[in-house]
Amino acid sequence: MHLPVWASRRALIVFVVAFAVLYLAPFVVSLGDYLHNLAGLAFMFMAAGLAWNWLGGYVGQISFGHAAMFGTGGFTSARLAVTFGLPFWATWLIGGMVAGVYALLWGHPTLRLRGPYFSIATIGVGEATRLVATYWTDFTGGSSGLSLPIDTGPTKFELYWYGLYLLAAVVAMSYWLRKSRIGLGLLAIKEDVEAASDVGVNPSFYQDLVLFLSGTVVGVCGGFYASYQAFIDPLDMFSFERSISFVLIGVIGGIGTILGPAMGAIVFIVIQEFLLASYPQLYLGLYGVLLIVVILFEPLGLSGLIMRLGRRLGIKPSPYAAAGGLSPASSPDAPDAPDPPGPPGPPTASVGASGHEQDGGRA
Amino acid sequence: MGQVLALAVSAVLLAGFYASMAYGLGLIYGVLRVVNLAHGGMIMASAYLSWVLFTKFSIDPYLAIPIVMVVFFFVGVAMYKGLVRFLPRGAAGGVQSLLLLFGVWLVIRNLAYLLFTGDDQAVRTSYSTASIPIFGNHYSVNRVAVFVISLVAVALLQLWLSKTYTGKAVRGVTENPDSSTLVGIDVERVYAITFGVGTALAGLAGVLASTLFAFNPSFGSGELLKSFVIIVLGGLGSVIGIAVGALVLGFAEIFAIYVVPSYLTAAVGFVLLVVVLVVRPGGLFGSKVLR
Repeated sequence: MHLPVWASRRALIVFVVAFAVLYLAPFVVSLGDYLHNLAGLAFMFMAAGLAWNWLGGYVGQISFGHAAMFGTGGFTSARLAVTFGLPFWATWLIGGMVAGVYALLWGHPTLRLRGPYFSIATIGVGEATRLVATYWTDFTGGSSGLSLPIDTGPTKFELYWYGLYLLAAVVAMSYWLRKSRIGLGLLAIKEDVEAASDVGVNPSFYQDLVLFLSGTVVGVCGGFYASYQAFIDPLDMFSFERSISFVLIGVIGGIGTILGPAMGAIVFIVIQEFLLASYPQLYLGLYGVLLIVVILFEPLGLSGLIMRLGRRLGIKPSPYAAAGGLSPASSPDAPDAPDPPGPPGPPTASVGASGHEQDGGRA
Repeated sequence: MGQVLALAVSAVLLAGFYASMAYGLGLIYGVLRVVNLAHGGMIMASAYLSWVLFTKFSIDPYLAIPIVMVVFFFVGVAMYKGLVRFLPRGAAGGVQSLLLLFGVWLVIRNLAYLLFTGDDQAVRTSYSTASIPIFGNHYSVNRVAVFVISLVAVALLQLWLSKTYTGKAVRGVTENPDSSTLVGIDVERVYAITFGVGTALAGLAGVLASTLFAFNPSFGSGELLKSFVIIVLGGLGSVIGIAVGALVLGFAEIFAIYVVPSYLTAAVGFVLLVVVLVVRPGGLFGSKVLR
């Protein structure tokens, strides 16, 4: 079979094997219903985190308002199920599309902004959407929310596999986005948007594309969440906390990488289900502390830690993995240098710096 | 006509408050190129401090302002020395500074929830319901006082920036940190002081807000957004810019009440932001493209 130039055979094999393992796992190992269902939900959070990461990590535009798409997708799909009785996968797809279009609507003008300007604008989007949604009771049911009809959708147990399909699709898309020409274009935009447009990369088109895809996937995740919980309300779906969760999953796991948001999602679910059951009043502070610690000590999050470990053991990260990262001007070494440029090390004022990093210096 | 005049005065009064809010954010951004996402959280924390001082120690909020500002100055300096100092400078630091300060904001909110619960609070003094006539219409004493205090604060700030050595050092560092080092300015110290002053201004805004609005630990994100809108509208360059930005926002909000259902007035700022950015990507005054 002929793979496109940028796809590696090895990656495809890993992908297929991982998929098969996860697909068959529940038949082989008995996890118990609770953990099994939780795994399904985890797949969704991984997918959502990856989708957020397309905008946050690949393009470099941090969105604090992704709950707007999550809620839009969720409520559209729930509405379709309640009012028209459409099958769940159709509601998810349509919900996702609507969310994607909505993302384009607010995103197209806003993406002209760079960095903090864009991010603050996304806070506004999230909040404005939440306000409108809460008062648009015909659509969202207001504070009472929407309940999905029972027995029409998949059970939480079955959602494990649908979550896996969703995750597989999103992982494949992540790989495609990063490795193909589009990925190179995104990287160029992230580093220097003007230089990128000088060489013919159309920032507007690429960013819109990523935003649309990101919004659509997060919308589908919203639909998934609606099916999973069988009840959603605007206060939760559109909340700032929800937006924060996507940021956290991306940042703690490792912005700009594929494995990162997946790990971040696991961390997030673990924190939510297990730690917060004991200390529910601490979750905001815990997230905040996690963010602070990650930024100060290992900006690439868990993936960064793993890469550091790998370097100590002598494994060099691939240039692609290394290029995903937080700061635009991250690798002063040219990509065609003999050694792959290391990921940006911790801030140069050496808080928590350890001996091994290559010079990922920045301005 | 009298109605329009009344609304116009309301808008101006509101703009005064907004300007004091925006200045803190603008100062830090202008000098350090760091967007202080914790700004809203600081405003909220200061509102709570004002409330505590009032309810536990019976200190009038307006009299508490100097205390609060001093406290927040040191909080700001501590935040700089403890956290912000380690961020990479320049464009590379943008995302990291956002996330770091966002984390700080989350922690502040959680602390507020733990200490004060999520209930709304407000500072109600004996004169909270009194009003002053201006041009024939009556306005709340608080709103007028807030406006006057904001004017004074901004004027003092401008004086500080233009007449004192430290103030001029701040302006020098804004222009060019490297040259400033060459002429003997301790840039790190300037950064710390700037962060302190910016936070102190957030403290001022918080005290003023506590007399005008009810607040809870979620307070502040709207204010952050509005401060930001003002900076985009007015540019960072001068007091005039921020004043104009604040006036535009104030007028837009007050008059939007006619056009838009009340729950959407919070969205006015955002819509304004998007409109301005689509029409003039450099902001109303900006010669530079926003980056």
